[in-house]
Amino acid sequence: MKKRVLSLLLCGCMAVSLLAGCGSKEAPEADAGTETEAPAENGENEEAPEAESADGSDMEYVKSKGSLVVGITDFEPMDYKDEDGAWIGFDADMAKAFAESLGVEVEFVEIDWDNKVFELDSKAIDCVWNGMTLTAEVTSAMECSNAYCNNAQIVVVPADQADQYQDTDSLKDLNFAVEAGSAGEAEVDALGLSFTPVKDQASALMEVKSKASDAAVIDSLMAAAMVGEGTGYADLTYTVQLNSEEYGVGFRKGSDLAAALNDFFAAAYEDGSMKECAETYNVQAALIEQ
Amino acid sequence: MNQIMEQFPIVVQALNIGFLQTLKLFAVTLLGAVPLGLIIAFGSMSRFRPLSWLTKVVVWIIRGTPLMIQLLIIFYFPGLVMGKQIWGSGETGRFLASAVAFIFNYACYFSEIYRGGIQSIPVGQEEAGLVLGMTRQQIFFKVTLLQMIKRIVPPMSNEIITLVKDTSLARIIALQEIIWAGQAFLKGSQGISGQIWPLFFTAVYYLIFSGILTVLLGWLEKKLDYFR
Repeated sequence: MKKRVLSLLLCGCMAVSLLAGCGSKEAPEADAGTETEAPAENGENEEAPEAESADGSDMEYVKSKGSLVVGITDFEPMDYKDEDGAWIGFDADMAKAFAESLGVEVEFVEIDWDNKVFELDSKAIDCVWNGMTLTAEVTSAMECSNAYCNNAQIVVVPADQADQYQDTDSLKDLNFAVEAGSAGEAEVDALGLSFTPVKDQASALMEVKSKASDAAVIDSLMAAAMVGEGTGYADLTYTVQLNSEEYGVGFRKGSDLAAALNDFFAAAYEDGSMKECAETYNVQAALIEQ
Repeated sequence: MNQIMEQFPIVVQALNIGFLQTLKLFAVTLLGAVPLGLIIAFGSMSRFRPLSWLTKVVVWIIRGTPLMIQLLIIFYFPGLVMGKQIWGSGETGRFLASAVAFIFNYACYFSEIYRGGIQSIPVGQEEAGLVLGMTRQQIFFKVTLLQMIKRIVPPMSNEIITLVKDTSLARIIALQEIIWAGQAFLKGSQGISGQIWPLFFTAVYYLIFSGILTVLLGWLEKKLDYFR
């Protein structure tokens, strides 16, 4: 009996070490594979981000596969679907134009916003172009373009109570709903207000609409498009602006596409096509000069 | 109320597209996991100890970690570590990764149900088969398997109905199944925003589908009601 138990234990050890063995064997191999390219790639991109046709650069990668995969969420007025189900919006239209300037197809993929960095790093997408606020976390995890749009965090309250909440002091007794990990959460936290983090900005609005929270903090561009008369949230309105911030486009860390996009933005701003596109979606007031 | 009537056709159309994705994932998982589960069951019952131990460790890992984590690992890990996205971009890649994760996960659960079913057949029957000069293969396919299938229908029904609802986990890697489609109207999609009822309404789809499955599986159980 003892012998049997012992043999079982040994078999177990063998199985585990077999698994461990596989893991440790594969790791150096993978390292060796990337080692040949990685130093060159990093070196070139960090020192000279403008170098556009370097072998193994992100731009080469995108051009070789012939498509720019843009990670988005359904976010009016930046990226949303028209009646035929095609993606439109200020960001979507600019992304189409940028892909065209690179000579590649554009492909929009809806992503889970929480996973945007994994999506980029695992090459499931090539950029995040969806009204993304340039925060410290974003700029440290991604290669970001210049800011192209102004935004603010703004307080949304039920319309019938709006006159009571017109300055920051009046907000202190309210329970806020904010998107977890958003700029809005940081603002509310800094003011020492009580808040509940929820999944996204739409859930924050739903919290207010369903009276689960007293107020929400969301992006002003989104509030302008989604809150008030003639929208799904007709009984809500926005009042106090808590901060101001900027939108940018995120690429993989070290990507040379960010610099290429900056050039593209500058050219599009110069010839007025960027402004024209912004006017289509009524965000021209927020546009930043390139 | 009037507003909902207006929105209803648009919402139903979007939910139908999402539900099609749910059904596809459900069908592919079932087709893959039912046979794979049997192979894993044989592995864990193998008389070759290292194989049975290895299988049991794998089953322990798969059953012991949340399916949501498995989905995230399967979809993002290859790209993050090897620097190459093996699933391909877009919805097809996400569906493939989900299907692999679901098939593997459910095969592990199925394998334990199969093992229980096979081991519930009295040893005497196998011995009788051997005395009659049948090979082990003949005994398995002509004696054990038929009785096993009959006995595992109730626990399998449980897992299959759970699978219908578990498919919603694939939204974590942005597979646009029905829950995703319903949630889209919360934020705003196709001109409808701030509506939570489409998300609640997805429950009707699940209810109807699991109702159909319950009837089908009940019929199957009755049909298999030979030798009690």
